[in-house]
Amino acid sequence: MFVAFSKVFTPENLLYFAKGAVVSLLLAAVSLLFGIVFGILGSSAKRSKYKIFRIIGNVYVEVIRGTPMLLQILILFSVIPSIYTAFTGNVLRINVFLIGAVAISINSGAYSTELIRSGINGVDKGQWEACETLGLSHKQTMRLVILPQAFKRIIPPMISEFITLIKDSSLISCIGAVELLKSAQVVGAQYYDVMSPYCIVAVYYLIMTISISYLGRYVEKRLAESD
Amino acid sequence: MIKVEHISKQFKKVKAVDDVSLEVKKGEIVCLIGPSGSGKSTVLRCIHGLEVPETGHVYLNGEVLDPKKSNYQELRNKMGFVFQHFNLFPHMTVLENLTLSLTKVRHMEEEKANEIACNYLTRVGLLDKKDEYPNKLSGGQKQRVAIARSLCTSPEIMLFDEPTSALDPEMVIEVLEVMQQLAKEGMTMIVVTHEMGFAKTVADRVIFLENGKIVEENDAKAFYENPKTERAQDFLKKVMH
Repeated sequence: MFVAFSKVFTPENLLYFAKGAVVSLLLAAVSLLFGIVFGILGSSAKRSKYKIFRIIGNVYVEVIRGTPMLLQILILFSVIPSIYTAFTGNVLRINVFLIGAVAISINSGAYSTELIRSGINGVDKGQWEACETLGLSHKQTMRLVILPQAFKRIIPPMISEFITLIKDSSLISCIGAVELLKSAQVVGAQYYDVMSPYCIVAVYYLIMTISISYLGRYVEKRLAESD
Repeated sequence: MIKVEHISKQFKKVKAVDDVSLEVKKGEIVCLIGPSGSGKSTVLRCIHGLEVPETGHVYLNGEVLDPKKSNYQELRNKMGFVFQHFNLFPHMTVLENLTLSLTKVRHMEEEKANEIACNYLTRVGLLDKKDEYPNKLSGGQKQRVAIARSLCTSPEIMLFDEPTSALDPEMVIEVLEVMQQLAKEGMTMIVVTHEMGFAKTVADRVIFLENGKIVEENDAKAFYENPKTERAQDFLKKVMH
């Protein structure tokens, strides 16, 4: 099974995997970023005083968290082009990375919504009351007192979310985007041996996730110091 | 100065405050006492508007506190509130805790705000702690900072909600001393407290509540020496040693 390992283990292939790893990392980073934007919107909706926004926020979170991410990617991949065709009559040539990034962002947004919401709710109610008695407006309270404290609670789980996204970005290999996992399959097809490339990219994934996990622990420690 | 007319407040099925009326004159110090769950804290919170009573009204200087009215916040800003659990802002230094309302609500320049804040910190004896974060302070120090923070808003009346209940016994005295000093300076105060010594010596008037109702109201001296209702007699017997 591993006969071809030495054949696969060449600088060219390692570089090819590295490119795939960069794609995965970028995808995860972009998705985390837009996921946070969706998360801010989602958590604001869920905290809104208007029922309609709360319903929208709840539906978003429940639907996204209650269905497989792979399914979400596939739906976006097939639905968007067909909607485009239905409206314009033209065939849409879609960028699979774009679809992937959009799908993962929307997915991550649902989780970020809950992280941000629980971070804000986790701040002691007394802080709101203290601001109220000092005459601060709701907006000022949020910006100057609540969010800075919620932020500290949100950072550590956001770093785990980033790790999850790096791993989950492999799902877009199924719509043909060449990221780290797909690059292993491409190389595997050349050598009629997928096992060696799979093992190599597993190490690539581990290098990324473990280093970010360490970074997370460091950040967590620093945040705890100022508590 | 403060007039409370027939306020009631219900939490789920429990009537926390049941038709309470009271009046506090300028410069007066009134203590609200009573067993746990008697509704004394809720009365205080209703006065400030932290809880909105379902029925009845609260008046400050003759003006009604109504969340629907435009002067609501302005009226509330004339009242200072001190919490049992201090509620200092943990991510800000002591000085920043004090200047927040000055710079953000009253739009004061930072220098001027710092000067005022330092002045109040000196009065509670904590000027040397101005650059510390709240987590470096003892409970008593935290509460003194909280009092100073509230004073920064130049309130006409101070409301204290069990200010010493969360403190270690040896720290109670330093907080009471600050409150005593305030009383001497003529501040109008409503204090929810379990500190009978403080109520007895500093308060002008004592209001005894139970089950959300005022059971007895009298001059502090008269109340402690000669409680009229049986319930108050019984309560005092248990808490005075």
